[in-house]
Amino acid sequence: MTARAQDLLLGMVPLALIIALWQALVSFGYAPTTLLPPPGLVFQRLARQLVTSTFEQDVAATLFRLFAGFLIAVVLGITIGIAAAASPLINSAVRPVVRVLAPLPKVALYPALLLLLGFGHESKITLVAADALFPILLSTYYGASTVEQKLVWSALAAGTTPREVLFKVVLPAAAPSILTGCRIGLVISCIVVFLAEMITSTDGLGHVLVTAARTFQTVDMFVPLITISLLGLVLNGALGALRSYLLRGFPDV
Amino acid sequence: MTSAQIFGARAAPWLACLGLLVIWQIAALLLKNDSFPTALAAIRAIPLILGDKEALINILASQRRMTIGFAVAIVVSIPLGLMMGRSRAVASFFNPLLMVIYPVPKAALMPIIMLWLGVGDLSKTLVIFLGVSLPVIYHSFEGARSVEEKMLWSGAAMGLSAAERMVRIVLPAALPEILTGCRTGLVLALITMVTSEMIARQSGAGNILFNALDMGEYDLVFAMIIIIGAMGICLDAMFEALRRRLVKWSEPQFDMPLSFS
Repeated sequence: MTARAQDLLLGMVPLALIIALWQALVSFGYAPTTLLPPPGLVFQRLARQLVTSTFEQDVAATLFRLFAGFLIAVVLGITIGIAAAASPLINSAVRPVVRVLAPLPKVALYPALLLLLGFGHESKITLVAADALFPILLSTYYGASTVEQKLVWSALAAGTTPREVLFKVVLPAAAPSILTGCRIGLVISCIVVFLAEMITSTDGLGHVLVTAARTFQTVDMFVPLITISLLGLVLNGALGALRSYLLRGFPDV
Repeated sequence: MTSAQIFGARAAPWLACLGLLVIWQIAALLLKNDSFPTALAAIRAIPLILGDKEALINILASQRRMTIGFAVAIVVSIPLGLMMGRSRAVASFFNPLLMVIYPVPKAALMPIIMLWLGVGDLSKTLVIFLGVSLPVIYHSFEGARSVEEKMLWSGAAMGLSAAERMVRIVLPAALPEILTGCRTGLVLALITMVTSEMIARQSGAGNILFNALDMGEYDLVFAMIIIIGAMGICLDAMFEALRRRLVKWSEPQFDMPLSFS
């Protein structure tokens, strides 16, 4: 057995243990089924829900908000990050604002966004974008400002225009750092979109959870949680594949 | 650095705050929206909240839960992260579990945990604990993994036991990275605190926020946002000062927070 397969097998142990413990708690009667439904029932419900159209619509609503917010954050984050690294003037303006805004708990802004943008998609997308923006911005800035200066100088000396230097030297050199930021931003987007939907929404996975909680349908409470976890895993895997495609040829990523 | 530059660096965040407030004021005056009060109106409403005894007790209770959750998370996560960083078996044991938990919003566990533990302090503190521990584990893991192997070998050659090597070599070497994780965790603790109170809607800062929203007292909503934001910024600045003191020896780091996972 290869070391990799061994690692994978070892990693499955705690997951299996948790499901076993969960099952044991139910079957030995320590937890009433109304509070903790058995895992078999939950996964069965998940499988059944995944093919119903109402649940699919909820997933689609969540995904739409997640991607819209995430993409806005990626575009803004990379642009501002590169600009701040390239120009001292922009840097001196961006830096203090980021220092103030980055540690601000963005969820607290949600009521304000609700008042300004209404209860629809816009307020949730803005919240997702605001939350995912900072990790992407900061790691872009970090990546772009640690690009070897000599590379930029030699490109300029060889007659490359500053514009081309940006696309041919700075962006590729900062790519590993930018992608790390995007990965963090993506996980944050998953979390935030769900929370926003839980607080006020009429559709989406978070709303499914809240509705289930209000009617004490414990089985239905686990389903959206497992779904968002799976979504996160899939998206993370997709981003990882994109990363290894984009960074082919980079040493050790 | 000249003294003028130092003064500039100190004043810049304050100027940024002021600038944001001015932008807010102008935007509110331009929009003339009933539900969007001006910055001045919101600031005038702050004493209304802080002067109210019940609200103040609520906010302090929130802070207490946050502190306890944060402290417990740090005590548990740092050793776990360090062990994961030094042992491949431990790392591959916990990694998939953490990957599954990571994208789940911790505050979303609130309804389920409330079913088991009630709406009291215990469930809210537990949620905060869960939210803080992941970034701290991750950063401790990364820090411990990049400790120079040679230092450990020389420690072993000089007769340090495995536990001593952990405390005297790995922990200090990983400290800058660990503190980055703690800083992320601190902001996350605040976020989780507010969100869990928004969802449980029983007491605390998040509840005040949404109660004011339901009552249509928009000045109070925005005043509460300022208070929570100020809490985040102050906590971050305090922690940053502590971090500088603790890891003065490490390379001058970036003065902006690097990760906010």
